[in-house]
Amino acid sequence: MELLALVLIPFIAAMLLLAFRPAAMARGIALVSTLLSFALVLWLWYSWNGSMVIGVSHDWVPAWGMRFVLGYGGIGLLMLILTGLLFPFIIGTGYKQPVGDPSLVNALLLFCQSALFGVFLAQNAFLFYVFFELSLIPIFFLLMFWGGAHKRSITIRFFLYTLLGGLALLFSVAYVTLQTPVPHSADFTALAALDLPMNVQVWLFWTMFLAFAIKMPIFPFHSWQPETYTMAPTQGTMVLSAVMGKMGLYGIVVFLFTIVPEGALHWSSWVIGISLFGALYAAVIAFRQNDFKRMIAYSSMSHFGLMCAALFTWNAYGISGTLYQTLAHGVLMVCLFYIVGAVAQRTGSTDFAGMGGLKTKMPRMALLFMFVTANAIALPLTQSFVGEWLMYNGLWQWNNWTAFAGVALIVLGAIYMLYAYQRVMLGPDRAIDVTDADDEEHFFLVPLIAITLLVGIFPNVILHVVDGPVQQLLNSFTSLP
Amino acid sequence: MSALILISVLAVLVLYLGLFGNKSWLAPIGVLGLLGAIALFASGWHIDHHLMGGMVKFDRFSIGFNIAMVAITVLIFLFGPDYYARAKDNVAEQYALMLFSLVGGFLLSSYTNLLMLFLGIEVLSIPLYILAGAKKNSLRSNEASFKYFLLGSFSTAFLLMGIALLYGLTGSFELTVLGEHIANAGSSDMLLNFGLFFTVTGLAFKMGAVPFHFWKPDVYQGAPTLVTIFMATVVMMAATAGFFRLIDVTGMPGMLAQIMVLLVLATLLVGNVIALRQTNFKRLMAYSSIAHSGFLLLALLTDEGLVEGHGTAVGRTLLYYTFTYSLATTGLFILFTIAKRANNGAEHNDIFRGLFAAKPWLALCALAMLLSLAGIPLTAGFIAKYQVFLLAIGAGWLKVMGFGVLMALLGIYYYFMVVRELFVRPDQPVTFVVSPLNWLVVSVCAVAVLVLGVWPSLI
Repeated sequence: MELLALVLIPFIAAMLLLAFRPAAMARGIALVSTLLSFALVLWLWYSWNGSMVIGVSHDWVPAWGMRFVLGYGGIGLLMLILTGLLFPFIIGTGYKQPVGDPSLVNALLLFCQSALFGVFLAQNAFLFYVFFELSLIPIFFLLMFWGGAHKRSITIRFFLYTLLGGLALLFSVAYVTLQTPVPHSADFTALAALDLPMNVQVWLFWTMFLAFAIKMPIFPFHSWQPETYTMAPTQGTMVLSAVMGKMGLYGIVVFLFTIVPEGALHWSSWVIGISLFGALYAAVIAFRQNDFKRMIAYSSMSHFGLMCAALFTWNAYGISGTLYQTLAHGVLMVCLFYIVGAVAQRTGSTDFAGMGGLKTKMPRMALLFMFVTANAIALPLTQSFVGEWLMYNGLWQWNNWTAFAGVALIVLGAIYMLYAYQRVMLGPDRAIDVTDADDEEHFFLVPLIAITLLVGIFPNVILHVVDGPVQQLLNSFTSLP
Repeated sequence: MSALILISVLAVLVLYLGLFGNKSWLAPIGVLGLLGAIALFASGWHIDHHLMGGMVKFDRFSIGFNIAMVAITVLIFLFGPDYYARAKDNVAEQYALMLFSLVGGFLLSSYTNLLMLFLGIEVLSIPLYILAGAKKNSLRSNEASFKYFLLGSFSTAFLLMGIALLYGLTGSFELTVLGEHIANAGSSDMLLNFGLFFTVTGLAFKMGAVPFHFWKPDVYQGAPTLVTIFMATVVMMAATAGFFRLIDVTGMPGMLAQIMVLLVLATLLVGNVIALRQTNFKRLMAYSSIAHSGFLLLALLTDEGLVEGHGTAVGRTLLYYTFTYSLATTGLFILFTIAKRANNGAEHNDIFRGLFAAKPWLALCALAMLLSLAGIPLTAGFIAKYQVFLLAIGAGWLKVMGFGVLMALLGIYYYFMVVRELFVRPDQPVTFVVSPLNWLVVSVCAVAVLVLGVWPSLI
């Protein structure tokens, strides 16, 4: 029942916002709703005993294996924590950096949260797909209404790109469902029990991977990402990078690793290759960007490349590291895009040309940004350090050369982040009139930085959640031929 | 049977009522009669009736299709009073012709004899030739009527040719005899292949499958919108049902499967690709209906013929697909008429601009129906496409189905070009005038599309 509530709370709150349009109180209502959801997630975490929990289970259309099953294991729980934790902050961004009609914006964000909870709770492949696509619709409108330059064409391109992946996934779901014994079932448990022949797994891997590769995005499927992130309103970018991209990683774990494990094993060196290449490529491009937001967009893509590569290393370090990093990356992206928004609000654009020398005018903001930068380049004691260290270990065990590429990524990451810091904050003083970070901005960034440090110092809090499921996955891999 | 007679008598009655010149009575009486027909059909739900010496069979499939066709006609009739509010004469004739055409639809969904197939197609089509030209002073309407008549009679000639060849082969018009012949004699016979080819050509023409689609955009655009709705919904359903009746007996012997694959590929490709460039909403809907007939043909392709139990799944899918498609199309065309009036008769896609600002509920309805046509989850259109995909995968047409997925993606693009217009602010303020009855019909269509999408087992 709590699981159904998790999907329904944001949905009902959004419907209320749409029906009554309380412009002044809209953000407050949305914030209360997201905090309520987060409290519920924390309670689920607290009461979780380490095994798979099935909360709701109803038949929907039995003939086609569609069932409404909600539940969560360790990996799903981590994703719920991510969604629950970040949405209050994403809603909170609207206080300081408002866009458009607050009731409508917050309603769309809440619809999106509802669908995302659904994705991470769904235990039926068809249900997963439905939520996977539904999460796209609110974002489509968010981008279409309040995007920046060329919003129409960019939004349509983003939408079609992700739908292409979605339809490929739907094709795969339909295919695997029909392979289950009669009566067909699309439940993940039933699909995991399938032992598909190798020649099928080899192509089925790609029709599924396409959806998730586009969602993250991974190298040759990324061309929608930089422009969409740059053009989207800050809150939209946050949702896309911090939470929706994670659906891709989560999908790889629940679809590829359980339904087509042999196919995943067969292609893993390819996937690691293109992911790492994409990560290095994005890092180099990030360095060359003249636009703050665009630079962060490329850095996000670089991180996703690394996470995807580590996920396919098939060892506990790599997989746990990636899962840990999903949370770290989410927190990091919310912080970074918030700072981009805050600075752009003061200088009038996200272009580096209009920035520089801001440190003397806004020393507090500079300090906060420094903390976030430290997290971005994975200094020890920050959250990203733990994740990246684990991922490098995983890559090292896979192959020395991939680890070398990983080390190159650390260096490149430090270069582009510090270079960006330099261009925004340091340099000769500008004669522009900007105000320093105010209470509200502290109230937003300080908790996130505190989480970064706390979880960075005590990583076991999170690692504990995914330990069991990761071991289980690895055990299922060792039994493969 | 009684429903068949009821509708025929109803049409004559409506025609006579027209003599009194009071057109406000026509639609209510028509709707009452149609509801009566639904009740009569529903009462015979569980029993198969054989009529006219076994040439017509009302079974579950045909009754389901008939009820769906009548239900859509009811929605169209409810739109009638508003649509014909300014028309002076010939209103009764148009209602009556639609009813006659509907009778043809009944025959198409329930024939078991090739002669009845021919009769059904003719009874369906001849009123349509007149209806398409109902705007006597409009050049486009005349063009539509003439074009439809010429091409339609041409395709009917093909159909007759096919039926004659099949008769020559089996010595009977009965479908069961044909089925037995295929089961015993195999499919290598040239006469059989040509006979089926010509028969399928005639049916594919009515569905608007490529390369028999050329009439569709011009006729949809030229015909009065109310008639366009009727052609896009009821006629489409009737043609699909008629096609299924044939395929369910013959299956896919030899060359027919290859021809059908070519039809499916060409229809999906041409329908979707040409729709991308359409700026006139009626033409867009015409190409979208061609694209949808591609998916329907894909479902038909999977029918194995006499294999027990398989045909019912295909039939149910076709019924669900065409019915939900018709609901969305009806609602959208009504909104189109409203928007066209608000924009002084323009038919361009951007006449929907400002609908969300002026009438948010109607814009949301339009959104739901467009999402359904595009096939986005939780709408009926999505479930319909998913069923077709399941059938195609189950029958092993994986590559054709992969092509269909790509084409569905193109479809999403052009529907979202219209969705975009709903939310754009217009250059000058536009006032949309909506009569309560239209509001009701549009709402019913949109809600039905969503409800059927969430609970697909209702059909």
